Amino acid sequence: MESYLVYLAYAVAAIGSAAVYAALPRDGVAPRKSFLVPMLGLTIGGVVVLLDKFTGDAAKTWYSVLLVVLSLGGAVRVVTHPKPVYSALYFVMVVLSTAALMVVCGAEFLGAALVVVYAGAILVTYVFVIMLAQQSHLGTEAQFSMMVDYDRSSREPFAAVAAGFVLVATVAGVIAGRGASAANPVPPPVEGNTMALGRVLLTDFAISVELAGVLLMVAMIGAIAIARRRFPKSEETAAYQPGEIGRHVKPF
Amino acid sequence: MTAKPDWKQTDIIHVDQPELSMTERMYLPQIFGGMKTTLRHMFKKKLRDETVVQYPEQKRQLRKEIYRGVHRLNRDDQGRVACVACFMCETACPAHCIHIEGAESPWPDREKYPIKFDIDELRCIYCGMCEEACPVDAIELTPEYHLVGGSREEMIFDKEKLLNIFDRTKDEKPRKNPNITGY
Amino acid sequence: MGGIQVGNLCHNVGSAARTMMDTMDAIRNILADQFWFSIVLGLVVFGGIQGAVAYAILLERKISAWTQDRYGPNRVGPYGILQPIADGLKFFLKEDIIPANVDKALFIFAPWMIFVVALVGFAVIPWGGSFKWGWMEATAKPMVVQVASVDIGLLYIVAVSSLSVYGVVLGGWASNNKYSFYGAIRAAAQMLSYEVPMGMCLMAAILMTGSLRLEEMVDWQARHGWAVMYHPIAALVLFITALAEANRMPFDLAESEQELIGGYHTEYSALKLALFFLAEYSHMITSSAMMICIFFGGYLVPGWEWLNTTPTFGAALVRVAVFAFKIFLFICLYMLIRWTIPRFRFDQLMRLAWKGLVPMTMTLVAAQGLVLYMGWSQWTTTAVNIGVFLFGGFVSVAGGKAVTGRQLSLRRAEAMG
Repeated sequence: MESYLVYLAYAVAAIGSAAVYAALPRDGVAPRKSFLVPMLGLTIGGVVVLLDKFTGDAAKTWYSVLLVVLSLGGAVRVVTHPKPVYSALYFVMVVLSTAALMVVCGAEFLGAALVVVYAGAILVTYVFVIMLAQQSHLGTEAQFSMMVDYDRSSREPFAAVAAGFVLVATVAGVIAGRGASAANPVPPPVEGNTMALGRVLLTDFAISVELAGVLLMVAMIGAIAIARRRFPKSEETAAYQPGEIGRHVKPF
Repeated sequence: MTAKPDWKQTDIIHVDQPELSMTERMYLPQIFGGMKTTLRHMFKKKLRDETVVQYPEQKRQLRKEIYRGVHRLNRDDQGRVACVACFMCETACPAHCIHIEGAESPWPDREKYPIKFDIDELRCIYCGMCEEACPVDAIELTPEYHLVGGSREEMIFDKEKLLNIFDRTKDEKPRKNPNITGY
Repeated sequence: MGGIQVGNLCHNVGSAARTMMDTMDAIRNILADQFWFSIVLGLVVFGGIQGAVAYAILLERKISAWTQDRYGPNRVGPYGILQPIADGLKFFLKEDIIPANVDKALFIFAPWMIFVVALVGFAVIPWGGSFKWGWMEATAKPMVVQVASVDIGLLYIVAVSSLSVYGVVLGGWASNNKYSFYGAIRAAAQMLSYEVPMGMCLMAAILMTGSLRLEEMVDWQARHGWAVMYHPIAALVLFITALAEANRMPFDLAESEQELIGGYHTEYSALKLALFFLAEYSHMITSSAMMICIFFGGYLVPGWEWLNTTPTFGAALVRVAVFAFKIFLFICLYMLIRWTIPRFRFDQLMRLAWKGLVPMTMTLVAAQGLVLYMGWSQWTTTAVNIGVFLFGGFVSVAGGKAVTGRQLSLRRAEAMG
């Protein structure tokens, strides 16, 4: 009955993909704002309309609209900003506003966990690595010439945008097709969201949780094994024991 | 051909790590021990009152004979400048802050005397080498340490100023060997 | 004539009094509504924390002086109590320098980021339980002395404090200075590492009290006694990680003056530098408040039932005062530690976290889970805590320089074998 919503979702995805494609950096040139801003505005407006249609009360407040705008705008800047550090920071913004949206929808635990895991741990590591790779720039003029190739222009922009937005359109279309009633949030259980989530995770999904834990453990052990320092054979034979030559002095 | 190193292998010193005692290995007892010391000092008001000098109101007891404050140019017993413009201090000065211009002396007891004697007190490091070098004990360091000025120029002390300092401080610290001038 | 004037006057006074009564009623209604009360409380807490931070800096200078047999600042006002005002004025009046080659946007953003993050953590701290105004009906819901009573209180604090690393990292990187950058890198690695044992300690406490809400944790302690009795080692480890998270001695590698000038805030001056300081001290206060809520009974005084349960405003104020006093004690402990213990080397720092604290706290979490599952007495975990501590001490003694020694795994001889 609400099939126009599906087409609206497809249209929003199409406009959004065109906007992001236009905004991707080429040869270190910043994207044209005159084209970009209306396109993004259209996309975000469409998304807000969509949310309004099938999420019920949660999307009707001004702050959730603001959060949607923040997270979508931040997401676009993640892929389009020429400086990697800023991209990572916009990612943090996306994570934070998404977490806030989750809180608005009544899923506080998920929101807080998202912040702890993504913003607090994973993205710090990203920022860490990016900063190690690249010192802060001198100025806007010198900036682009100093950049490495892969920062100056995006690779395979069309394929990337197409793949991403086909995925988004599919998911959005499916959700839109299910109609408003199915997507309405379930009223939270009496004992609180967090407790219910914990109960479900440790009973119905216990095996999945344990498997994920084991996977992470294996990954950690693997990382430690790879990162362990080794010396080549030739160095080993030439190595002298510390303290082999010279005299020993007692401290103090 | 490699140059022969100017050090011997036996010159290398390996400082072994100190052996840690049982409590040091447990770490926490040592932390509490350290905090005991800190706390003890925190509540020892008597020690504070004895050691702290509240500077502008109280002043430290200086050892006036050897304190190295601002310089002075000594006068001999006839009130003339004692310096003989031998340039020893200027040569000895590691900071190159002394500038002397000598001239023929109007007095019979010496050949030269300084017509200009400038010390840049901002450059000076107050090492006292000039005092050591002076053959007639004409330049000396005084126990005065309140040395202030509004500009860099003001801090270059000329002969008059240095002699004034002598007038000011001769009671506090008399000239060591007053009778040296004489050649 | 005169009579009319007097009548008018009476009328005016009466209407003024009535307006005042109306205003009073309005104020009372607003104060009796939890939402508006929370906003008022938030502002009060914000102001209180700023003042507390200013005086914490004075306290730090005083304690550092006393431990070194000095007097500390004693010129501005009697005993130097006006020193914070002088310091603040100085920060305001100094030239705010932005060096030429910094990343300007992030350079300005970083101090604000760290400042805001350090302050929003106060939202979920239960300052003094609940109370009722005198004019509220007996059936009305009592007011809670807490800005926001959310379902995930503790997790919220963890989430917020995990964001505090960004301010440090961004400030260090944006300064475009090697020293700042070293500080930023150290801070990032350190904070990430110490979040792990911190999370474990919190998890043990959450398991024990069965709630993520800080106020329910305090209630649990009202019934069972302070949680530190059941998990002394978890409390200790939480304190250690709080030191590390706040970049305090002995974990202040991020700004170690002897090596890195000022670390991540080397290039900052004036108000931005002040923001870094405010953030550091606010962080200390937040983490102390969190630790007190979890392990040291929050606003409770053991044995004083009448104080802990009386639902009047005055009693709530006294409870807030008790809480503030506990925070004060913790701040003093922080400072005492800063002026006692020398800084760790970086490998020692990492080893302490990953080889010392993480296994210990993991054991505690497992033990707590087991106790819950088997339904054993809660005192079992006390035994486990002591056991873990003794075992740790034994490993430390048997293994030689467990924490303070060189990192053996990086030695050539070890790598060959």
